[in-house]
Amino acid sequence: MSSLFDKENVDIAWCPGCGNFGILKLIREVLEELEVDKKTCVIVSGIGQAAKTPYYIDVNMFGVLHGRALPVATAVKLGNPNLCVVAEGGDGDMYGEGGNHFIHTIRRNVDIVHIVHNNMVYGLTKGQASPTSQKGFVTKVQVGGVVNEPFNPLAVALSLKAGFVSRVNIGDPLHAKEVLKAAFRHHGYALVDILQPCPTFNSTNTHHWFKENSYVLDDTYESSDFHGALQKAFEFSPMPLGIIYQDKSIRDIFERSIRGEDAKPLHAMTHDVSKIQDLFNRY
Amino acid sequence: MTIDELKRYNGQNGARAYIAYKSVVYDVTNSPFWKNGDHVGEHTAGVDLTSALSNAPHGDEVFKEFAVVGKLEGSEQISLVTQTPKTQEHQNDSHELFKSKLKTWYKKYHPHPAAVHFPIALHLFAAGMDILFLITLNEAYNAGVFYSFFIATVMGLVAMVPGILSWWINYNFSMQRAFVVKLIVASITLLLGVVAIYIYYENPHVAYEHSFQGILYHAIVLVTGLNVIILGYYGGKITWGYGRYQTLTEDSKKVLNITKHESAVSHHSASQSISILIGGAAGTGIATLEKILSGAFKKNGFYIFSTKEYMSRVRGGSNTTLIRISDAPIEAPCWKVDICIALDSLALEHMQERWHENTIVFADEAFSEKKTNMILVAMKDSAKKFGNAKYANTYIAGVLFGALRLDKSSLLENIAEHFKDDDVNRDVAESGYEEGMKLENITLPKLPKSDLEGVKKLHLMDGTTASGFGFLAGGCNMVTAYPMSPSTGVLNFMADMSKHLSIAVEQSEDEIASLNMVLGGWYSGARAMTTTSGGGFALMGEALSLSGMTETPAVIYLAQRPGPATGLPTRSEQGDLNMALYSGHGSFPRIVLAPGSLRECIDYGYLAFEMADKYQSPVIILSDQYLADSISMIEKVEFSSYEQRSYIVQSTEGYVRYEDTKNGISPRTVPGFGKGLICAVGDEHDERGQITEDYKMREKMVAKRARKNDELTAEAIAPEISGDGDIAIIGWGSTRGAICESLEYLNNPRLSHVHFAWVHPLGKEQLKSLERFKYRIVVENNADGAFANQLKLYDVKIDNQILQSNGFSFFVDQLSIMIEKSVKELS
Ligand SMILES: Cc1ncc(C[n+]2csc(CCOP(=O)(O)OP(=O)(O)O)c2C)c(N)n1
Repeated sequence: MSSLFDKENVDIAWCPGCGNFGILKLIREVLEELEVDKKTCVIVSGIGQAAKTPYYIDVNMFGVLHGRALPVATAVKLGNPNLCVVAEGGDGDMYGEGGNHFIHTIRRNVDIVHIVHNNMVYGLTKGQASPTSQKGFVTKVQVGGVVNEPFNPLAVALSLKAGFVSRVNIGDPLHAKEVLKAAFRHHGYALVDILQPCPTFNSTNTHHWFKENSYVLDDTYESSDFHGALQKAFEFSPMPLGIIYQDKSIRDIFERSIRGEDAKPLHAMTHDVSKIQDLFNRY
Repeated sequence: MTIDELKRYNGQNGARAYIAYKSVVYDVTNSPFWKNGDHVGEHTAGVDLTSALSNAPHGDEVFKEFAVVGKLEGSEQISLVTQTPKTQEHQNDSHELFKSKLKTWYKKYHPHPAAVHFPIALHLFAAGMDILFLITLNEAYNAGVFYSFFIATVMGLVAMVPGILSWWINYNFSMQRAFVVKLIVASITLLLGVVAIYIYYENPHVAYEHSFQGILYHAIVLVTGLNVIILGYYGGKITWGYGRYQTLTEDSKKVLNITKHESAVSHHSASQSISILIGGAAGTGIATLEKILSGAFKKNGFYIFSTKEYMSRVRGGSNTTLIRISDAPIEAPCWKVDICIALDSLALEHMQERWHENTIVFADEAFSEKKTNMILVAMKDSAKKFGNAKYANTYIAGVLFGALRLDKSSLLENIAEHFKDDDVNRDVAESGYEEGMKLENITLPKLPKSDLEGVKKLHLMDGTTASGFGFLAGGCNMVTAYPMSPSTGVLNFMADMSKHLSIAVEQSEDEIASLNMVLGGWYSGARAMTTTSGGGFALMGEALSLSGMTETPAVIYLAQRPGPATGLPTRSEQGDLNMALYSGHGSFPRIVLAPGSLRECIDYGYLAFEMADKYQSPVIILSDQYLADSISMIEKVEFSSYEQRSYIVQSTEGYVRYEDTKNGISPRTVPGFGKGLICAVGDEHDERGQITEDYKMREKMVAKRARKNDELTAEAIAPEISGDGDIAIIGWGSTRGAICESLEYLNNPRLSHVHFAWVHPLGKEQLKSLERFKYRIVVENNADGAFANQLKLYDVKIDNQILQSNGFSFFVDQLSIMIEKSVKELS
């Protein structure tokens, strides 16, 4: 089925059965159903198989360096707060190479949607461990199995007081769509960690495994309870899915704090030369 | 050169075109106003035009744009700086002011383009209707023709007035082809209009007649229709240039005003100066003392230069500040000093090697014994009487002013300004002043002559501030940076300016984020920059490369300090040129600029944004601790002359980001501005911005980026050459002031100063002026001679090098000796 955000003439670089196909479809549908204006929407992505997603969506995009989507997305938003900005990439991209930016983007509370394809492995570089790989996961590099403690993005985001923290499984696209839509609607930084199988390089965390090891949080779950959320974030077998935490209160948003509430896009502004002249004349 | 020699350079048959004005010979070959040595049909090249200028529609300011090639022999005036008599200068000033005001107004409202569409449309309309009339002979058309023609003619007159105004304001009555054609065609159109209206007025039925008048009437209506097409065509050419992009090579330099400026230091000789060195621990107020004294000296009519040398610590250690006061502009430090003020014993020891035999030393009796030329003052004790030893700095300022018999009120005024309502400091200074007046049996150096009027017009600031103003002139509205000495000053400055202007400032988590943010900012339409020093810039390599590949502009202010690694964090060196030139993987165009004076800090700060935006490439501004932290004087800068341009185009449907254009520059747009979508990517891509590994596409894109490089190389600004000796003393960036003063001091007519502020890419054209020298000596504040090596790559022969990498910038007295020695080795 073709949608408004389908892109013509593209050569998709993913393996058959890759979870990325589901995520691509998910994002296209969410953009369309939320009636996002493609001209004012920008997806910034890093490097990796996951980060190729925006190349296949008919929207503005900026394909940057491995790990660097977040600082770029931050400044895109700062330059023009009226844009709808998404940062997208894999678990290696966002939690490994870009780990420092992950921390500080949350602290800034930039109004962007942060989508992380979490397949618990490095796909593009052919199968090394990622920060989220489980202990014991054997690869060509981690020959005796991974010994490091896996990175817990939800707990880290919560400890930094992220306003929207969620995890979904692409094996359950309907639920995933609901959560991703909520992330787009959220004012401020919103993390969506998407569990995704990599049929080529991760035979441990398969489609089946994700299904067996996760459950969807039901209506009784109180996503506004910070301490409850912190506890949930540390549950692993099985992993809770859904909006783990959302703070719906009005919070300071980075670009608004710096640029003011109704800031114009910077490209439409020039400095008042007479002001510069006055400031210079004071010396 | 002699008058006869000059004649050979008439610009014809491939010869270069030279003209002389007030004994200076200028090269005008590349000027569009001097094609084939002909200037507006009035003058030819190869002659002395000094007397002709008085009849010219422009003043001698035009000469600043041309490279000086030599001196015309047989005439008495040899000053390179053309001096206009005071009264005339004043007239020019008010005239220029009026013109610049008019220009601002004109640029805002564009009356000519606004008015000109009416006559064009109406003339075309009339001609079209007339054709219909001739076919149908319908009276309704006939009446339509006349009324639209009548209004077209009147509107034509209305459009001509602002047109001529624009010709004057924007193009200085240029006689280039487009203007001439427009002028003639417009006049003819107007004339014919009047004739046709007259014919119709005499006989409203004329359109039906086969008489001469009848035929003439129709002919005029049809011909004027053609005329307005010609007018529109040339109007478009004037406004938009000949390609999609303006060829700004000559133009931009004119607007930029930066080919040659009269710098504060240009070859006036400072007949007398006094140097004062103040030393003390960090946190004892020597920075305050520097501010108070330099401000107060300025009020006394002295030209000031001051520079700091400090250790990488917040408290303790031993820091110094050097203040030079002079009777003419200076922009360099000296090693040996005339007066030395030690605020503590460590400083006294630290500064000893900078004394000459007559240096007068002020020290506290508490830590020093009496020696010859040593003046013991009870600094601490006197300060304590006012309640706190920290007043020692204010006290000694008073002593110094008293001893030098300078105007007390100027000092007190500055102290009041600096400390706001703190009256104690005022009293302390006053008591110090009295103490200073009492000092009698000492021979202090003679004060330079004061020039109250001249100095009053100047502004006192450091390189950091001047660079900041340059970036503001360039329209900088986003700064994302991570603090690192000595670049932090610009970050602070821009943050402070964000209180007055719309500038988004963010301290990034690291330098990697800094430059990536800069790219994100430009992507959505900001004019963004980052500030850093060597270590931070090293972290930016990958993002620099991303700027190159995605063709996203970036401006990086790189204030150098000595490395490797943490090196000497608070000291100076020009050690990062190679890194600026080569960092980032892969090959892509980049520009490296290195200003050497306050004026250049502003000009090149502006230029950085212009070039980045126009060529969609990274621009690196190389400064260093010395340039950033030194205070000197600058003439008034007219910020309205720095045009804030935007190279962002509105996109249409089907827009592709990497259109393969002739000059390699693809039109750039921003999200939400027009109907197109932008795909900018760091992988190799096709014109759409889709990832590709097709080798043909790769070759095409490599070639596109290379064409962009050729294009920007053609804009390279030639080095500034002063003097007409046959030995070139070549420097770049912050060495400008020191070389300049050294050469003045050495007063050897064989020595010329060649100063590069545009450092990369070097162009063959740009280097031509180096051919005439017999010897070339390169002076650099580093150990690797990186710039000399660059010149060698362009086959410039280097005969000797003067290098220094001890953490100090060059001192005039020491550099003079080094140059002398170096020249001796050659000849
Ligand atoms: C600076 C840098 N280091 C390393 C790489 C190589 N690299 C590309 S993608 C990648 C990891 C990909 O893993 P992930 O982000 O999880 O994405 P996936 O391919 O699994 O979707 C690496 C290490 C790079 N492109 N840049």
